[in-house]
Amino acid sequence: MKFVTNWRASRTAIIIVVLVITVLLPLIVRNSYWHHLFIMGFINSLLGMTFSVIFCCAGMVNLGTGAFFGIGAYASTMLVMIGGWPFWFALPTSIGITGIIATAFGLISIRNPGVPFVLLTMIFAEIISQIAGQIQFFGGWGGFIMVPRPNPIGGIEFNTKVPYYYLILCLFLLVVVVFKALYASRIGRVWKAVSLSPRLAETLGINVYRYRVLAFVIASSAAGLAGSFYAHYTQTIAPQTFGGFFSILVQLYPILGGIDFYVFGPILGAAIMTFIPEYLRITKEIEPIITGLLLLTIVIFFPRGIIGSLSNFPHVRLARISDRVKEITNWLSGMGPR
Amino acid sequence: MQVTAILEVRKVSKFFGGLAAINNLNLDIFDSEILGLIGPNGAGKTTLFNIISGFYPLMSGNIIFKKEDITGLRADQIAKKGISRTFQISTLFMRATVFENVFIGFHLHYKEPGWKAFFHTPAVKREEWVIKQKVEELLDEMGLTPLKDELAINLPHGHQRILGVCIALACNPKLLLLDEPLTGMNPTEKFAMIALIRKIRDRGITIVVVEHDVKAVMRACGRIVVLNHGEKIAEGSPGEIMNNKKVIEAYIGREEEG
Repeated sequence: MKFVTNWRASRTAIIIVVLVITVLLPLIVRNSYWHHLFIMGFINSLLGMTFSVIFCCAGMVNLGTGAFFGIGAYASTMLVMIGGWPFWFALPTSIGITGIIATAFGLISIRNPGVPFVLLTMIFAEIISQIAGQIQFFGGWGGFIMVPRPNPIGGIEFNTKVPYYYLILCLFLLVVVVFKALYASRIGRVWKAVSLSPRLAETLGINVYRYRVLAFVIASSAAGLAGSFYAHYTQTIAPQTFGGFFSILVQLYPILGGIDFYVFGPILGAAIMTFIPEYLRITKEIEPIITGLLLLTIVIFFPRGIIGSLSNFPHVRLARISDRVKEITNWLSGMGPR
Repeated sequence: MQVTAILEVRKVSKFFGGLAAINNLNLDIFDSEILGLIGPNGAGKTTLFNIISGFYPLMSGNIIFKKEDITGLRADQIAKKGISRTFQISTLFMRATVFENVFIGFHLHYKEPGWKAFFHTPAVKREEWVIKQKVEELLDEMGLTPLKDELAINLPHGHQRILGVCIALACNPKLLLLDEPLTGMNPTEKFAMIALIRKIRDRGITIVVVEHDVKAVMRACGRIVVLNHGEKIAEGSPGEIMNNKKVIEAYIGREEEG
């Protein structure tokens, strides 16, 4: 028991230290390009978190995060630019709109939560980007430019990156708190049961379908929130941004960081995927190749993600790595996997 | 002894492709009995369980539980009516602790609405506390208390089986379907499991056992039904079944003539 309490205490300490660092970060680093990277890192980790919540709570793979990110961005932009709403009302409304569309989509697609669901989410992301591009009312392929900044609030003007940084930090923490509260409740226990064994969960009187839809809607609404922020931060949105490849990238963040750690996993993964390509810019054309190789290495040698693999004992990890090397050499020499 | 049927299976058929897994089956399960369901491999025993618990859609026939037609209900709705089951291969929440496994089993006992659970209101906390006490009680009764913080995957096989029964009991069922509860157990464990099954029956829960170990079934059950190729070939007390010619044929094969 002593070990458990120690571990809990050290975890709380780590969380506090990380929190203090993130709050002070824009004051330590006074470079607006870096601020931009931090903000994008938070948007990406928020999106990654929605992926891992759907994966951990409902046992489903969602490759359509981009669709709901886009819906949030478009809803917010159009409410502000066409409806003349202030940003602070458009933000919650766009979350609601995303939630409603996610409910409609979820009710239909989650009937088949396996491969059909994965394909439907991918197709849905493409459909949304096509709709936004083809229909002039939604701005066409050019999208919207000059999306207004958030209205000043409490004397804070959004004319540098720093207020944006604190806004996304607050939104991110809000989402984390909501997920944590859900996960600690009865609903969270049911989600755990559904992801571990949907069959057994059903025989216990749990309506697996309904709880899957719930997890999907809540996570997708969080993606809508990220979209709304993104639109008013970059001040331009275009359909291409949310197309197929975007959603593929989003799922990499939690998988890299560790899919079971749905707060720190996506943060670490998003940090890696946001900063490393920037550093590799000097390598110019071969940058995607290096990034790709890095990803492959991590996915092959750290199958539970970086945090997941580090939390194992070193000797277990080494055994796994040697297993993996054997598997690959077997495969390469044409013998097939074990 | 009461003779009211708690579950009536009426003319039920289920085909996989052209193959009849269950063919025009009629079966009554009486209140507070232990019914043994035996038969050679592929006789349709597990299929029947899957049909009753709502995992397979029915092709024809009706299932009536406590005078109420439950044909075509979803698995979770049937669980709500009071039918619980265990699975052939230990199906548990493997990456959760023993305590969590049983805690989830109590899902149907919550009265407070789910949205309140999100806000962790005092009423919700009180209700959770009461249910936690119930979990402790049940674990104690089943002798799993020393293992309650273990992950289910780390339990020895016999204990996994008992945990499976424990989770099913948490739903407070009227009818309990046990799919091969004795597989992979040594004689001592089997003996304990049979005693446990009897104890559960004494609480007023009707039990149906599917089992390969015919000897153990004879010992545990008051009445036995034999299935072969999806049809009922015999029904009666253990003594009657043991001497039934059809049953011997189904298990060993037809005696050569002459």
